[in-house]
Amino acid sequence: MKMKKVASLFLTATIAASALAGCSTGNGGGKSADGKTTIEFWAAPNPTQQVYWKEMAKEFEKENPKVNVKVSPMKESPTSEASIQSAIAGKSAPTMSENINRGFAAQLADSKALVPLNEIEGWDKLLKNRSMTDTIKTWEFSDDNQYVMPIYSNPMLFGWRLDILKEVGVDKMPATYSEVLDAAKKLKAKYPEKYVWAKPALADPTAHHRWFDFFMLYDAASGGNNFIEGDKFVAEDEAGLNALKFMDDLRKEDAILTKQSTDPFENGLGIFTDLGPWTFSYWEEKFPEMKYNENFGLSLPPVPDGADTENVNTFADTKGIVIYASATEEERKAAMEFMNFVYSNPENDLKWLETTKLPPARDDLSANESFKAFFDKNPELKPYADAVPNAIPSIDNAKYNELQTHIGRYAVNPVVKGEVDPEKGWKEMKKAIKEELKK
Amino acid sequence: MMKRNGTGWLFASPYLLYAVIFFAIPLIWSMYLSFTDWNLISPVYYFKGFDNFIEAVKHPGVQAAFFVTFKFMAAFVPMVIVSSLAVALVIHGLPRFKGLFLIGFFLPYLASGVVSSLIVKGLLSHNSAFNVFLRKFGIEIDWLSTPLSALLVVAAIIAWKFTGYYALILTAGFESINKDVYEAAAIDGVTPSQRFWKITLPLLYPAIFTVLILSIGVSFGIFTEVYQLTGGGPNYATNTWQMEIFKQAFTNLSAGYASAVAIIASVVTFASILVIRKLLEMWGKRNGWV
Repeated sequence: MKMKKVASLFLTATIAASALAGCSTGNGGGKSADGKTTIEFWAAPNPTQQVYWKEMAKEFEKENPKVNVKVSPMKESPTSEASIQSAIAGKSAPTMSENINRGFAAQLADSKALVPLNEIEGWDKLLKNRSMTDTIKTWEFSDDNQYVMPIYSNPMLFGWRLDILKEVGVDKMPATYSEVLDAAKKLKAKYPEKYVWAKPALADPTAHHRWFDFFMLYDAASGGNNFIEGDKFVAEDEAGLNALKFMDDLRKEDAILTKQSTDPFENGLGIFTDLGPWTFSYWEEKFPEMKYNENFGLSLPPVPDGADTENVNTFADTKGIVIYASATEEERKAAMEFMNFVYSNPENDLKWLETTKLPPARDDLSANESFKAFFDKNPELKPYADAVPNAIPSIDNAKYNELQTHIGRYAVNPVVKGEVDPEKGWKEMKKAIKEELKK
Repeated sequence: MMKRNGTGWLFASPYLLYAVIFFAIPLIWSMYLSFTDWNLISPVYYFKGFDNFIEAVKHPGVQAAFFVTFKFMAAFVPMVIVSSLAVALVIHGLPRFKGLFLIGFFLPYLASGVVSSLIVKGLLSHNSAFNVFLRKFGIEIDWLSTPLSALLVVAAIIAWKFTGYYALILTAGFESINKDVYEAAAIDGVTPSQRFWKITLPLLYPAIFTVLILSIGVSFGIFTEVYQLTGGGPNYATNTWQMEIFKQAFTNLSAGYASAVAIIASVVTFASILVIRKLLEMWGKRNGWV
């Protein structure tokens, strides 16, 4: 009797739980009775990008009345990645979303949560019309599929404080390791309390920080050599060691500051920093005194002595659109049509560039006339456009978080703190990464 | 029995339902997941038996979480007890506006952990006025990158946050002490120090006991401040259980493994609170306070 009561209580709870689960928003997609296909698109949690996508959806719907595109912001709590994961786990993933980097896409693809875009009709047309047949090559995953349609490819550049360099007697931005070390010596001689690289993240093992220090230097030193291919560690030892030695040499000159500091580059505490194009709108508001080619300049990452300083590779901060595996055939088709609509017209990429200041992932960005006026008006963004063909996206391994944490924990962090020498750091990092790849 | 207490069950049912849906089911689900390699999104996953638990026990992040919790406790609990006791003593002795002052001290408890952490981050930055001032005297501390100071900074922020809340409980404790006891003691000629140690403290012990247990509980649930200020570093020096679970589940996408860590964390938390509570009770009894 007692068991019966307990059982009925559990049954009630289960029914209630199921009812609550039924309250989930779902993906809101599908084909309605009137033959209209609805696709749900999650835009990046950034107001400017949402405005852009809503506008695109509206224009698309005008020409494609049979498709309805619902644009909504991606939740950011606790992170946008976590909100996507929980949506997939809760079977409420959208049809498609933007804001996906290659590493996260690899995690999703590994879990069969994404559709290979190259298997949907219209993919090749999209690549051709958007002029991105070269750019897309570096986006191919190790299973030969393409899971992400890159929206922007943002080659990370280093900023230099030109005014301070000039004050210490350096007239041009250093391009090689020796030139940087020479600038460091001159800086410390005149301003002992200033640093070349003031960046707390150099001592932080959090995986994503490595995109903006180690990978920028490694991509430049290795000529864009891969770091990991599939499940194999293929990094070029010499390039990796050179990058670490460079950091170590700067440390020896007391030119690296890893302590927490507020706006070190803007305040002139540090004279060298990684800069993305998003910084400039922030500066317009908070640091209007920062003027391109007056007090700051942009350069490709420094390279080892003797290397080519013209055609330098760098890390590409890139994000794109994916289509989720939960989408139906109709939704996939409609999603591809939507992408084709947006990217077949360079004007839409121009609109994106004007709205977000993020360089569209196109082969012809610096050559296409459509963008010329924009870059003439925003000269600080031109170097980013020029560097697009040499920009290397992040590794496509599902374990990228663990792997990049090892780079920080065993190599970069202890080297900048002087706790290990570069050789030992590189060796231990390599060992940890290889073990991780075997798991 | 069920029939006789029908009204009681009826009133309790919303909470029971809530507990089943949001506590029992997730707990059972989490226990189940802890034996799998589920990554939160993949439809395919495999049973790993106790592998997740074995792996977790060996993992430096989990080992650090275990010790860091007790280190936090050792720093945070004395800090918050002393400060809340001091605040309560001062407020208790005020002739008027006690409520107003209590509200003032309680406000940090309502402040967002993210905001307070960001403010502290700014204050401790290398080029902040505070550090520039310290450097004039040759004092150079890398607050958030040195294991000990990072731990103490986080403990101090949380102590600051909880001081007003605990002072509220202790003030209520002070107010409940019968004034006649003090009057009788005054007639017997006890000194202020004797009055505090022999009368106030024993009579305040139930309130102190509550505050102690609450603050020990807080030590097991630290996340926001650590996430914002140190990310669990430097070198796991502030890596709490919550940080480790968060990293494994949402950064490394190892939901099965994170569930195993969460189960271990729960067991450690419950067992520790039980042991500490027993010790506190024994201590109170030995001194004749309870």
